[in-house]
Amino acid sequence: MLFQTPLYPEHINQGAKLVDFAGWSMPLEYTSMLKEATQVRKTAGLFDVSHMGKIEIKGAQAEKFLQYLCSNDIASLQRGRMQYNLLLNERGGIIDDVMVYNLGSYFLLVVNAACASKDFSWLRVQGEKFEVAIEDKASFYALLALQGKAAAPILEQTLDSSVLTLSYMSCGVFYYSDFGSLLISRSGYSGEDGFEIWVENEFARRLWQRLQEVGRNYHLALCGLGARDILRLEAGYPLYGTDMDEETNPYEAGLGWAVKLEYKDFIGRSSLEKLKCKIRRRRFGFVMKERGFARSGYPILDAAGQELGVVKSGVYSPNLAQFIGNGFLDSEYAVEGKEVFIKIRNKPYLALTKKFPFLKLGVKKEG
Amino acid sequence: MAKLYSKSHEWVEVQEGSRARVGVSDYAQKELGDIVFLELPDVGKEFHKAEQFGTIESTKSVSELFLPLAGKIVAVNQAVIDNPALVNQDPEGEGWLVEIEIEDKTQLEELLSPQDYRSFIAQEH
Repeated sequence: MLFQTPLYPEHINQGAKLVDFAGWSMPLEYTSMLKEATQVRKTAGLFDVSHMGKIEIKGAQAEKFLQYLCSNDIASLQRGRMQYNLLLNERGGIIDDVMVYNLGSYFLLVVNAACASKDFSWLRVQGEKFEVAIEDKASFYALLALQGKAAAPILEQTLDSSVLTLSYMSCGVFYYSDFGSLLISRSGYSGEDGFEIWVENEFARRLWQRLQEVGRNYHLALCGLGARDILRLEAGYPLYGTDMDEETNPYEAGLGWAVKLEYKDFIGRSSLEKLKCKIRRRRFGFVMKERGFARSGYPILDAAGQELGVVKSGVYSPNLAQFIGNGFLDSEYAVEGKEVFIKIRNKPYLALTKKFPFLKLGVKKEG
Repeated sequence: MAKLYSKSHEWVEVQEGSRARVGVSDYAQKELGDIVFLELPDVGKEFHKAEQFGTIESTKSVSELFLPLAGKIVAVNQAVIDNPALVNQDPEGEGWLVEIEIEDKTQLEELLSPQDYRSFIAQEH
């Protein structure tokens, strides 16, 4: 059986091509994922990402608990702000990458759909030693992502100007009689300015339709998971389960910035201290110089044909008009501008290593 | 002459004599989604009926291309190699893939008429 989001009827009405993703029936694309990904960088796109998990952490020791479970510094996460975090196992391997919201009276973890039940069990087991209440709230809400430079005017016209008070990586609860209580954050997975909006199931379709109506003046594109994957790879963001898993540590994945060894104790810390200086492979980008689609699992070779690593993700980037990808490379090759070869159907295709992001991003880090 | 179709969703259109164009059907391009890469053979190469003669890649998948009948490649459409999206835009016209010299014209009789191809797709669905 496949789960359906509250927006499923909208996807059917729009003729979306559906795909089974982590047990959910989700739109892969509505028209063309290339056009959708292009439109997000030009104006804006609207995504249904209700498959994401939503776990609430409450209780007197909620902060202490998260500080022990997460890699980043939760103590520095102010009320009304959000922070990227990794849940690690004792070996320093990545259980999941999550977004933590500080909502004052409680914390919220937004987790990957495919990891939601694993994360929930992990948190529950670890939580036994703390005074916390852990609840999975995903089934009560839909999550919409409105991404692109026109996201702000579209959301302002759909709701009101109060949403513009949110700065990048801020979040807050806003009430509207038409849409109920909305948890809105200025964030996303595209590298553009944008918002992510948690809405109660019963109001989800109305909000989706209203955003679409207002968005017409901005050529707002309905976007599926295909466009989402292209946009996140163009931005250099990793995808859990594809680019990293429990056998990957944060340093290899290029996520060392989200690990605060010096500030605090947390699960995986002692392993990471030992690992940190012994990183032999890193996640790194490449751009195909010879036209060819580098797909997950293809070997990455040096000029002599020796294997340097393996492709984890690859897409055709419509915004660069080039094939791009990322994979794990020997540290010596994980620098900009090295010639490597991707083995596609037994033939080597030239590629050049490229630092993330692949293109200039519109997202405003400050203010 | 009207196009004839294979069950693997390629079409053949005889131009003159035993020279014919080959491409993928409109149905196939819709199923594939955005086409981003084509690997086509060199002129002069010969293929058996139903032999793989190339590869077509969309954003979603890699698919093999099968020659609907035996023949020798006499032309390759450089326009689709440079701009694979042409196959999405005009699959049964400007988006043709190769031209072949048909080895045995009686093999044409084994292909599907447009009507038969339509009912074949309807059954598959």
